[in-house]
Amino acid sequence: MLIHLPIAQVAVDPLILVLIGMGVGFLSGLFGVGGGFLLTPLLIFYGIPAAVAVSTQANQVMATSIAGVSAHWRERAVDVRLGTLMLLGGIAGSTVGVGVFSLLKYFGVVDTAISILYIVFLGVIGGLMAWESVGALGGTGGDPGRRTRLRVWMRGLPIKRRFPRSGLYISIIPPLGVGFFVGLLAAVLGVGGGFILAPAMVYLLGVPTRVMVGTSLFQIIFLTAYVTFLQATFNGTVDLVLAFVLMVGGVIGARAGVAAGRKLKAAQLRLMLALLVLAMAGRLVYELYVAPKPEYRLEEKA
Amino acid sequence: MKLAALLLALLAIAPASAQSRQRTETPTKTAMAAGLAEDTVEVKVNYSGARIVLFATAPTPEDATSGLAVALIGPGAPQDVIRSTPSGVQHFEFVSAPQVFAVGSEPQVAQSVSPEVMTEAGLNASAAALPRSDQLNSPDLEAWRTAFVNLKMEQGLYLFSDTTIERLDGGLRRARIILPPNAPPGEYRVRAVAFRDGQKVGESEKVLTLERGGLDRTLYDLSRQHGLVYAFLAILLGTAVGAVAAWMGRR
Repeated sequence: MLIHLPIAQVAVDPLILVLIGMGVGFLSGLFGVGGGFLLTPLLIFYGIPAAVAVSTQANQVMATSIAGVSAHWRERAVDVRLGTLMLLGGIAGSTVGVGVFSLLKYFGVVDTAISILYIVFLGVIGGLMAWESVGALGGTGGDPGRRTRLRVWMRGLPIKRRFPRSGLYISIIPPLGVGFFVGLLAAVLGVGGGFILAPAMVYLLGVPTRVMVGTSLFQIIFLTAYVTFLQATFNGTVDLVLAFVLMVGGVIGARAGVAAGRKLKAAQLRLMLALLVLAMAGRLVYELYVAPKPEYRLEEKA
Repeated sequence: MKLAALLLALLAIAPASAQSRQRTETPTKTAMAAGLAEDTVEVKVNYSGARIVLFATAPTPEDATSGLAVALIGPGAPQDVIRSTPSGVQHFEFVSAPQVFAVGSEPQVAQSVSPEVMTEAGLNASAAALPRSDQLNSPDLEAWRTAFVNLKMEQGLYLFSDTTIERLDGGLRRARIILPPNAPPGEYRVRAVAFRDGQKVGESEKVLTLERGGLDRTLYDLSRQHGLVYAFLAILLGTAVGAVAAWMGRR
């Protein structure tokens, strides 16, 4: 059976969309990432117009994040204080990022810049995480050591506050800075930024992996709500039927992901996220340098 | 989507006028009419798209080469084809091109009618894409048109083999045109053209307007006319689904 999507203007099999939503939702619940960086290309691959895919995934990620964060909330594994700080930084970063995006577009290097940025960030983050996780698995399998050179330097920064849920007493500048940087990248790269935020929280701020997942999801809820609102109001590209079908699969997957995450050691979780991030980097390298590109493409005018 | 097909107007060229014109052009041939009388056109619509069934009277007398071709064409829209080359990107603008072009013909027609005659009969998808006036004489026009048709075929909007024409008793033909599920709403032309000895000997055309209906239309209109309300609805939906899932998870 096919259903017709009112905004995307295509007929789709809802079962396939539910399965896509479940898969991405599972990863969202497991790692605390929104999953937009996976969902958008999957939807485009399935035939959903890119503009609708980008906008609608934010709406779906919002629902799965709410479902995912509730389990972490009950376990008192959401640091609202830290999440709010990063969210504020993220909104500021997104605003600047939109400007950077326009600048790159003006100079005609936006596509190349985005692809290279993606590959560099995914490769570096994924590589470092994988290296550290494999080392940690040989030891206790817990969180990475809290006394890195960067963190010692950050301890000297002013305006310190306590973040009891994360067990941190740090300056508010690093969380704001991390949020800003992630927001900036998110705007330039057109994704939610969870896959950058999650490792940044663990390695830069020293947030325990257990708290990281819930706090990351907490922030993603508001960020995706903001994106959904903007896209629906100004671009009219959010497809509610598509979003609903994806949400049904997504929330089921998210619950399963949270349950699966409880059975894994922190280092195992980080290693799996690292492999996922590296796989995405590999796919981009393949698309940019190896995959044959179609000579012609169609652009329908509004 | 519930596509409500509304028959707006009957633009059938009167068989008499078709015969008259044909007599002038090919006086040696027997005039034929591919009449689509109003009461012989049937439109069927279902949720996953639409299948248009039409009946057409067959020209008489018939011989081994006579037969029908039918097409569903429209709605027209401006479209750009972009070509990526090692030296850069090239654009070619079609000021109007059908978003859907489904055509089918009886085997004897396909064998006996030349591409030029098909173009003249308005059944050539490539020729239906109209370039900008300053690009009319471009040496690459045919290449761009071919690329355009291929891209539309990839989208499933240009169909050249999904239309079947059955021969019924008494010279009646029944044609089933599969409307692609992703066909946009708008004004379509249903054309039936009669051929004999490789030449067009009659034609008829109807206009169909496909409109959105039900929830599909409500959501589309809301997103376009009340974007703010639609945005709040989207956030509400996400919150509600997430909250219900969280509640179910607790149980």
